[in-house]
Amino acid sequence: MIGAIRLPFVPLDPTQRDASLMPLLPLRLARGELQAAVSGILDTGAAVNVLPYSIGEQLGLSWEQQRTSVVLSGNLSQIQARGVLLSATVGSFPPVQLAFAWAQTDNVPLILGQANFFLEFDVCFYRSQSNFEVKPKSV
Amino acid sequence: MSIEELLREAHTLPRQEKFRLVQELISELADEVGITAGEYPIWSPYEAYDAAATLLRLLEEEKAEAV
Repeated sequence: MIGAIRLPFVPLDPTQRDASLMPLLPLRLARGELQAAVSGILDTGAAVNVLPYSIGEQLGLSWEQQRTSVVLSGNLSQIQARGVLLSATVGSFPPVQLAFAWAQTDNVPLILGQANFFLEFDVCFYRSQSNFEVKPKSV
Repeated sequence: MSIEELLREAHTLPRQEKFRLVQELISELADEVGITAGEYPIWSPYEAYDAAATLLRLLEEEKAEAV
């Protein structure tokens, strides 16, 4: 990939380093003047991006003011979520607008899923080499 | 009550109660075959296509407002 950044898979469990390697992407989320440096798990099976509650709070989101209800699935189906739009910057790429299902829980990782992270970025996984590449979508 | 009648009744349950019913049955089956029952959360919105459609609509509305 031309212009892509290559990042390593990260062990999430220090006691099982190789077995717990996951593609975590560092990114900056912003809403107005407020910013948060976060890491999101690249989840190609996830239909949507998911934002944990406390990160939304850090970015000044108010639950009561978010009117768009989002119905999630699996374990998340019992948790309320609201649709929110945030600016996201990966590396030195231009910022893009990402839509998140802002979940009313912190018991969930920040998930980067099909709508709309994978609509904005092309990703290539090299799991055998424990790394992956990311670049903005080809226009 | 026959299995057919039971299934007909089960289909009328609210979503939360359907989950509870499934959990109870799986837990009982797991106990019977000696599997340690427990909750294994999978925090990933698989097949949440309605949610995806909602978010994509939100993005479209935002784009339309910006024009």
